[in-house]
Amino acid sequence: MNDKEKNTDKIDQVQLVYARVLEMVSHVGMAFLALGYVVYVLQLLPLSVPIDAIAGNWHLKASEMQQKLHTPAGWSILSSSGALFKGDVVSYLSIYYLAMATVVCLAFASVTFYREKNYLYTTIAVLQVLVLLVAASGLIH
Amino acid sequence: MSPATKKILGSCAAASGAFAFLFISPNILYAIQPHAAEQTAWWVWMILLFVFSFILGIFSVLAGVGGGVLFVPIVSGFFPFHLDFIRGAGLLVALSGALSAGSPLMRKGLADLKLGLPMALVGSVSSIAGALAGLAMPANVVQLLLGVAIMFIAALMIKSRAYGTPDLKEPDALSTMLQISGIYYEESTKSNVPWQIQRTPLGLFLFMIIGFIGGMFGMGAGWANVPVFNMLMGVPLKVAVATSGLVLSINGAAAAWVYIFKGAVVPLIAVPAIGGIMLGSKIGAKLLTKVNTRSVRMIVIIMLVVAGLRSLLKGLGI
Repeated sequence: MNDKEKNTDKIDQVQLVYARVLEMVSHVGMAFLALGYVVYVLQLLPLSVPIDAIAGNWHLKASEMQQKLHTPAGWSILSSSGALFKGDVVSYLSIYYLAMATVVCLAFASVTFYREKNYLYTTIAVLQVLVLLVAASGLIH
Repeated sequence: MSPATKKILGSCAAASGAFAFLFISPNILYAIQPHAAEQTAWWVWMILLFVFSFILGIFSVLAGVGGGVLFVPIVSGFFPFHLDFIRGAGLLVALSGALSAGSPLMRKGLADLKLGLPMALVGSVSSIAGALAGLAMPANVVQLLLGVAIMFIAALMIKSRAYGTPDLKEPDALSTMLQISGIYYEESTKSNVPWQIQRTPLGLFLFMIIGFIGGMFGMGAGWANVPVFNMLMGVPLKVAVATSGLVLSINGAAAAWVYIFKGAVVPLIAVPAIGGIMLGSKIGAKLLTKVNTRSVRMIVIIMLVVAGLRSLLKGLGI
């Protein structure tokens, strides 16, 4: 067995699990991002805020644009009826998916750390998941 | 054509690209006719943003910095979008880059979870605080501080001397408790290289500061993560660069949610930026052996100084 193979053997199981999950979620994320944008800019589905309105106000502060156009922010994008069939909402969701990708990877890592009885890193990984979930919940904005 | 001539030609092409990039930027062209920017169709801006981000992606790889570091200062200097949306897009640019590069680095044992997770935990909390602070501040103050930060990064790039594989030193108590050490396979020497770290408490503190700055300015923080890992904590350069990506993907995600909830993430702007940088990075990686990276690094430093000056002037209302 050469050095390279020996090193591969020494890589933690949890690293390999994280890598596998990351590869899967990031590939899906990039495809979703591209697809969502095509649906959005080609207006294949109706939009909740017209693109021209966004373009006419993108020099404003985010809070001012929100006030003026009532652009969706956070999970409020899903609050209107038939939200999932709106082009801009699909594009927003593709971005949210990317922002959630690390949570998925860390959740798998936490379980693997726990199975390996590495309680210190299980705690660190769970705490990290909690921090990201609190951020994604919008509780602290 | 000899390899040396190719490198010189490559450097000339890079220099002329940088010149065009800095001095024939969309906002400067439109400054000649101020109404033209307002009348321009949105899709023209999107194409320009994609092309601009694509060039940035190439330069960032050739200069050995993350695309997220260059994106905010340079795009904020040259495009009509408010800084809020550029910072929101900048975080997603940094996050996407780190996500797409992460898996192979993790498999090779270069990105190390046990090294990255404690740093990311403190960094993610402070990046949320940084994002909240950055979005609460008036735009001119953020612009001014951004100018200072960019000048600092440029100075750091000039001064920093990375250590490929630092000498193995006695690990500190905290790193021993956190089980942080490893071995990676060095292709150039065909051997396994063991590593361990020191000064972990100071490293954690600095990652907290870096997270705050990254969240505040919407920048990737590879420019700071790597020197702290490598020069302060004694992590081999390759492991430092790869693990920095892991930390960035976690910190970037935490801060991105703040921008998302504040309405500062607009897909119209964010997606072409992500696509352009990622595509440019792939081309940049292919050009890496053909271009004199030292010259490109110098060009990027000049680009940062110009962008920093523009940011400072904008912040001062000049």
